[in-house]
Amino acid sequence: MIAIETKQLKKSYGASPIVKGIDFIVKQEEIFGFLGRNGAGKSTLINMLTGIIQPSSGTYSLLGVKGPNDQVKKRIGVMPDYSILYSSLTAMEHLKYLSALSGKSAGKEWCMEVLTFVGLEAHARKKVAKFSFGMKKKLGIALAIIHDPELVFLDEPTSGLDAESAIQIQKLIRRLRKRGKTIFMTSHNLAEVEKLCTRIAIMKEGKIVKSGTMDELRAFYRSTIKVRIKHSPVPASEQMKLHQWLESAGTDLEVNDPYVTITVKDENRIAEIIRAFQQCRADVLRVEVEEPSLEDIFLDE
Amino acid sequence: MYVIGKREFMSLFKGVKSLIVIAILLVTSYYSAKFADFLLSGIELSAKEAENIHTVGLLGLLLLLGQLFIAGLSHDTINRETHERTMRFLVTRTSRTSIVLGKFLGIWLFWFICLIISFLIISMFAQKIDIFIFSQTMSLVTYQISLTVLLSVLIPKPGFTMFLSIVVGLSFPILGLWVVFTSNVWVSWTKYITPFYYLEREDFSFLVIFIVAGIMLFFANFIFKRREC
Repeated sequence: MIAIETKQLKKSYGASPIVKGIDFIVKQEEIFGFLGRNGAGKSTLINMLTGIIQPSSGTYSLLGVKGPNDQVKKRIGVMPDYSILYSSLTAMEHLKYLSALSGKSAGKEWCMEVLTFVGLEAHARKKVAKFSFGMKKKLGIALAIIHDPELVFLDEPTSGLDAESAIQIQKLIRRLRKRGKTIFMTSHNLAEVEKLCTRIAIMKEGKIVKSGTMDELRAFYRSTIKVRIKHSPVPASEQMKLHQWLESAGTDLEVNDPYVTITVKDENRIAEIIRAFQQCRADVLRVEVEEPSLEDIFLDE
Repeated sequence: MYVIGKREFMSLFKGVKSLIVIAILLVTSYYSAKFADFLLSGIELSAKEAENIHTVGLLGLLLLLGQLFIAGLSHDTINRETHERTMRFLVTRTSRTSIVLGKFLGIWLFWFICLIISFLIISMFAQKIDIFIFSQTMSLVTYQISLTVLLSVLIPKPGFTMFLSIVVGLSFPILGLWVVFTSNVWVSWTKYITPFYYLEREDFSFLVIFIVAGIMLFFANFIFKRREC
């Protein structure tokens, strides 16, 4: 089943278009990552999907229900982009108030279970004003899932957190998926998205420029493969010939004995490079192929 | 709606401002009713005047300072949450109409309880509860709450509604009473949208005040539905 579907979703402020016609689909039980630089339109998109702002044009549906629809709000959970909480309320009071608002009043036991899930069970009665930034983020996730939604929106869930807290939240996100939730998250952290998300979309200037699974994105970028070869000494008489051949075989050639690094456009080129070394009477000792990381893909876009 | 209303209602009982307003209402009710007994024994009044004398103090207080009290306590009922972005929690969980109506309901219940207690105090002296005067008072309070909610939706900055609540609270009764009695045709028509015109008449025309309050609430909801949080 499709959890999110958008068709030509647009948002403009006056003459300035922020989101310029977005089409994408998120399937159920996916972790869908949305990447983009600041101002790319990620938060605007999440705000449109969650009913915080109205789209200028286009349509979207959440869990098969055309939006905006107040009934579907009970089936989605939202963690806003930064810790916006009621400083005078405790964690437990937050959970009780916001679950009741979602139409599923949570009892004390369920609230404690959710707080235990996010690791805040010891702070249930503490006022949020005394919470650290990381604790607020965790409570944000607890609030997003307190009414047991099918679809969870997480806007930059680990931004501003230290490494340990970020890892804890990443673990939480994985556990949410194991519980059958669909997760739509935005992030600046490329490594995090690469590790967590089953599918990724890259947004630039209000448009999706690339989307797919990590393997699909890699396959698209595999035309530029970076190869690092460790070789035995090349006889002096062969060096010039080999260098000339390598220059014609690829780009970004770096020679730093006993290593040669080269970027090729085709996987088949790697075998040709190995043969070229052998023909020049040098042994290839090690071949390292660098897969394009999400960072490479992102920066390229 | 009820969840938001309950929270708004409970939060109004917390804080020094609310306690001061409740104390003023109760003290005014007690002493005006007590003083009314003294007036009844010392001054010759018509039957109608004598009948309503116990509630004069409370009604006078609400006519002159009711808007100031209500706006003072609830001027930021909507815009505070929008400003602090906690409104995002609400709009992603329930309908915007529920939010506006819930806020209104919470404030209305707070004033309903306060006025019930005030009228009970008065009834100890008057030996009766005047439902008609109570209904008139509630219509006035309903109007003032709707106006406060509308202003809180219209103006995004809580600091500005705080200032405006003082200005409106002080000028509202003065201008309201002026338009009721003025013969200036350019402004006299505005008396139909103020509560004073209907309260001055001793019939059931005060029910129109509830309609005007409903219209203001409708506009507040209409604007809030289009507002970004």
